[in-house]
Amino acid sequence: MVQYLDAGFAAMADATRRGILERLGKSPASITDLAEQFDMTLTGIKKHVAVLEDAGFIRSKKIGRVRTCALGPRTLDRETRWIEQYTRMLEQRLNSLEEFLERTKGENDT
Amino acid sequence: MTPAAAARKANVAKVGDREISIERTFDAPRDKVWRAMTDPKLVAQWWGRGNPLDVVTWDFKRGGHWRFVEHSDHGDHGFEGRFAEIDPPKKVQQTFEWDGLPGHACFETMTLEEIAGGKTQLRVHTIFFTKDERDGMMASGMETGMNQSYEALDRVLASL
Repeated sequence: MVQYLDAGFAAMADATRRGILERLGKSPASITDLAEQFDMTLTGIKKHVAVLEDAGFIRSKKIGRVRTCALGPRTLDRETRWIEQYTRMLEQRLNSLEEFLERTKGENDT
Repeated sequence: MTPAAAARKANVAKVGDREISIERTFDAPRDKVWRAMTDPKLVAQWWGRGNPLDVVTWDFKRGGHWRFVEHSDHGDHGFEGRFAEIDPPKKVQQTFEWDGLPGHACFETMTLEEIAGGKTQLRVHTIFFTKDERDGMMASGMETGMNQSYEALDRVLASL
């Protein structure tokens, strides 16, 4: 279970992979489609697809020369999504705090 | 994000299977970072990540309640908790709960450390609900589509 969770976190830790999931949420797509959309090489996209596939988020099937990807059996449950969401919010808050500190630099520094 | 902020991007690590830890260095003295994090008027200026933020309650003492409402283009989101331990100017512990997921409070420990060059290292360590609870949730799965999930996530996080 821990490994399963870790694979999920690793899969979701990347903006391109989150983008791929969002894209596949609309409809299945081929590796070539994904590479074009995300402006990556086929090899690059294949790596991301493999990570998502290992984590169970997507599945892919090769018909002839075309490999088509679709959302897989695993979906994130609400609570797990919350952890992702929390982490992103926290990162954004820290960025925001940094911007605040930069903006007020020199004011009341002690 | 400013280029400087990008360069000092937070370092996120998972600790065990129900904890995360984030470290971040700020180019500001510790007392100033402490004030930014504990003076509600200053908190209101950054906590919302660019969204307007109402500090509804801020009772800064052990057991005291805090509540924020963040106003995004897609709706209002409330967050609240209680302070557990306060040790100025270096440590705050508090619970953190989002209105959208009542009962799933997590426990945050924030520590500030002075480092060379007048900078400050902030470490946020968060423990989520119990492992059993989380495993149970994972096992039960969900039927909601990933796309919907991320649209919801984006609505909550609409600050970019």
